[in-house]
Amino acid sequence: MAWESRWHNADDGAAERAETAAREGSKTMDNALLVGLSRQVTLSRELEVVANNLANINTTGYKTDSSIFQQFLMPEVSSGGFPPDSRQVSYVLDRATWHDLGPGPILRTGSPLDVAIDGDAFLVVQTAGGQRYTRNGALQISTTGALVTSSGDPVLGVGGPIQFQNTDHDISIGEDGTITVREGASATSDSTRGQLQLAHFDNASQLQKQGANLFLAPPGVPPQPAPLGVRVVQGSIEQSNVSAVSEMARMVEISRTYEQIASILQQENSERTTALDKLSAVPA
Amino acid sequence: MRALDIAASGMAAQDLNVQVISNNIANMNTTGYKRQRAEFQDLLYEHVSRVGTQTSAQGNILPVGIDLGGGVKIVGTPRLITQGSLSQTGNTLDVAINGDGFFKVLMPDGSFSYTRDGSFKMDAQGRVVTPEGNVVQPGITIPQNSTGISINAQGQVSVTVPGTTTPTVLGQLTVTRFLNEAGLQPVGDNLFLETPASGAPQDGIAGVDGVGTIQQGSLEQANVDAVTEISNLIAAQRAYEMNSKVITAADEMLKTTTNVQ
Repeated sequence: MAWESRWHNADDGAAERAETAAREGSKTMDNALLVGLSRQVTLSRELEVVANNLANINTTGYKTDSSIFQQFLMPEVSSGGFPPDSRQVSYVLDRATWHDLGPGPILRTGSPLDVAIDGDAFLVVQTAGGQRYTRNGALQISTTGALVTSSGDPVLGVGGPIQFQNTDHDISIGEDGTITVREGASATSDSTRGQLQLAHFDNASQLQKQGANLFLAPPGVPPQPAPLGVRVVQGSIEQSNVSAVSEMARMVEISRTYEQIASILQQENSERTTALDKLSAVPA
Repeated sequence: MRALDIAASGMAAQDLNVQVISNNIANMNTTGYKRQRAEFQDLLYEHVSRVGTQTSAQGNILPVGIDLGGGVKIVGTPRLITQGSLSQTGNTLDVAINGDGFFKVLMPDGSFSYTRDGSFKMDAQGRVVTPEGNVVQPGITIPQNSTGISINAQGQVSVTVPGTTTPTVLGQLTVTRFLNEAGLQPVGDNLFLETPASGAPQDGIAGVDGVGTIQQGSLEQANVDAVTEISNLIAAQRAYEMNSKVITAADEMLKTTTNVQ
């Protein structure tokens, strides 16, 4: 009580100014901590995205994910203690992840039921939850003779699921996805078993990943017929388009940035401690 | 930090991948062996912000969302049923199938198993058996002191019995097809069993209705390609390494956080 009144007596205006400054100061320190924290949270999420890319580096038809960040402006900081330019504090927000739908390298496997799509289109898969789209062309034949994905979901042809007969052999898939076989003893002519349905999306970035190499088309993103020039390549699969080098580089960047921010937070914290010490020191 | 679990799923998957590749390499010289391939799928995604969500009352929608993946899993290790190259052995009871189909073998427990390995032998009773002594269907017995065993493209086994000039047909090897050969269950000894995924066995005759033809004096080699396997091995090993780096990075980030005062 005694020192307080003494302070007031000494210089009323100065005390008020100091008080305001201290209040603003503590606010900025809080903000610095929170801005740092917002970056750290987004960085750890970005690392999850990178980890998932690297985990799927050998997944057929996998498409790389990337994070997009955005600054988030908080216009709330001051009440006149700062020049107008610095009134806003910008936080970091992870806005979105987007799929890099660029083609992956095409690997020759020689298996007749492996197909890769050369061009901007997807295979159409009928799952229990509706139609899904995939670039994973490592196909199988089911017990009932239907053409299925490795999870057992039927792959759709232009007219519905593609069905093989018991006596079919020498399956051949043409560039337009037409599937022909040699049937039974009539080994001189081919019979057609259907044509792989290929779906193209004008805005493929809106497709949502579903796991199991499947994409879901949300409402308002209708599948279109494949444009000219899309080819089906038999005996090959499309590898993951994850670039190991850039993912590793991103990972290093993430982990270093994270450290940097931690050290900024540390500095901020020690500055704050010093400020508190100094401000709370009783004037002699 | 979920990155740890994600990277761990990647390491587990690559570990399994190396297992599959090493089994392929180990069986490079196994007659009738069909190489396997590990197939991966990405795990479920956490949709932190869904694509297509309305962002304003005017109907603006999010063009892209936040989808965070959970890692990778192995969905299957299907066999690649492609023809292996045929190597000439000159042995009369070595047969290979050129095309689709499996030889049918009677197991000691009365069940049937199927094989592409045609390195058959003759047992003490003159029956045609596999190297383990199981009878190849339909149980062909070669009479004593007969000569000139011949197996034609249709699998007909014929011999010349002393005192006759025309060969006697003893029987015809059964060749069985499956709709989904990749769905057969391997049980070792180059044998496969029927499963619900393979479909019912369709016993047939070589060269008829899409069944392959039989080549005497040859064996089908494994369809393992050393170069492919080794390059797959390198890729798997590097992928394993990269995933372990993610774990290190996540660990360092956690350490940084822990050390903040």
